[in-house]
Amino acid sequence: MASQTGTTTIPNRRQPPRRLIKVLFSAFGNRYFLYTLSVVMFLTFWDLAAVQKILGNFLPRPIEVLSQLMSLNTEPLASKTLFEHLWASIHRVLIGWAIGVSIAVPLGIFMGLNPYVRAIVKPVFDLLKPMPPISWISLSILWFGLGEESKVFIIAIGSFVPCILNSYNGIRLIDPALYDAARMLGASRRQEIVEVGFFASAPAIFAGLQISLSIAWSCVLAAELVGSRSGMGFIIILGMNQSSPALIIAGMVVIAITACLISVGMDRLENIVCPWKRELPQ
Amino acid sequence: MEEGTAAMKNAQAKIEFRNVSKTFIQKETQKVHVLNDINLSVYENEFLVILGPGQSGKTTLLRIAGGLERPSTGEVTLDGREITDPGPDRSMVFQTYSLFPWRTVLGNVEAGLRFKGVTRKKRREIAKKYIELVGLNGFETAFPHQLSGGMKQRVGIARAYANKPVVLLLDEPFGQLDAQTRMLMEKEIIRIWEEEKGTVVFVTNNIDEAIYLADRIVILEGKLPGKISGEYKVNLPRPREHTDIEFLKLRKEIFNSTELIL
Repeated sequence: MASQTGTTTIPNRRQPPRRLIKVLFSAFGNRYFLYTLSVVMFLTFWDLAAVQKILGNFLPRPIEVLSQLMSLNTEPLASKTLFEHLWASIHRVLIGWAIGVSIAVPLGIFMGLNPYVRAIVKPVFDLLKPMPPISWISLSILWFGLGEESKVFIIAIGSFVPCILNSYNGIRLIDPALYDAARMLGASRRQEIVEVGFFASAPAIFAGLQISLSIAWSCVLAAELVGSRSGMGFIIILGMNQSSPALIIAGMVVIAITACLISVGMDRLENIVCPWKRELPQ
Repeated sequence: MEEGTAAMKNAQAKIEFRNVSKTFIQKETQKVHVLNDINLSVYENEFLVILGPGQSGKTTLLRIAGGLERPSTGEVTLDGREITDPGPDRSMVFQTYSLFPWRTVLGNVEAGLRFKGVTRKKRREIAKKYIELVGLNGFETAFPHQLSGGMKQRVGIARAYANKPVVLLLDEPFGQLDAQTRMLMEKEIIRIWEEEKGTVVFVTNNIDEAIYLADRIVILEGKLPGKISGEYKVNLPRPREHTDIEFLKLRKEIFNSTELIL
């Protein structure tokens, strides 16, 4: 710039470094570059830590985890492939969650609509609410044995609490002005409940379904850690028993990816089911 | 301006408040006396504005006419029948819009007809007509959250009119709008009312809005319990000008005669 108007004999030596800084700056300003950098740095430090044995012999290198994941697909564990184990966990989650939700949502709605139901259900519910679902594991094994039932029970309990809370609050916190509007338009009590109660609480109920699904997912792992011959929790326990950290981390990665896919799927579903949701306060 | 009121007496009273008082009970024991001995007639095809400051019980008065509240004493009648419940013969437009967020513009405008059990085809036809009347063609499939405040209230007005009410009740409908939108909407409500006719009760705390809109203004006094402290007939031809000398004269008169800050 300055060199073009000034004398041409002196080359502008400052330009190349400036350009480099500019390129660096624009790279650091690019968020995808930063994302990549962050992941690469994480993997590098992990790999370094593994090679230097900072955590003893039980931190595998990332590449070992990857090859473990590959071999899980071909070599069955306890006569099941990776996908069969994953399916075993998902299957339990779906059944337990469905049972918990199908009791909790109607109960929460009735609690919100009817003061008598609330007076009867709420005190018991408030007692049970603070108990972590995992604390039920021992009892459920005594009651239902080591089979599927005890795992489904834990998951159902875990799904139950957030679901009933969200349904109840979803109904309770509806803006009374919406009921007024419906009544002024000539809605009967039944039409009021269907039009306002159902729709206005739908986003809150849906949020309850979402939260309970992620809790159900952690419950299934806890239940499988205690006593199981299949499922992702079993893979992790097997890794511990075989002193194979690569197997444990491979299991954790699969769990994380699945949970992530489930939550993305639920978000998509919510946009389809409640397209108006953004307008509701909070 | 009192002679105008006498002339109105000959017209048929649509809504009548007789000795209406209202006391709310708060927190089990505390009593709030909101309205005291209100006597008021609203005449057929009249645009009545109830003008009062905040905390004057004007919204409660309107809600009693709507049937959303029952008076503690006295009675309110519509065409001689006592009002006990909300009903589709009265429609209300709310300050906070109260549109159903899960319904599109069309779904909101149809709502009352749906409650009545009008067939899908018929109610679509009626709703389209009122959406056009309020100038929202092309927004039928929009959700309320996609609309501006003024447009939301247009939906509110269309929804109220689609039910073919005998009386339209508006509760500070433009209170949340900015000044420009507010003046535009005042013009619009007059245009719509002149097309649809019918009896209108409009509650506001804004003197200019009251004079711009009203056939008759009723003043509610500004401390609870609210009581009627004055009445003005507005004989100015429409469309009115906010800066018209007669307009300003009346504004000054109302402003001076009421000791309230409005």
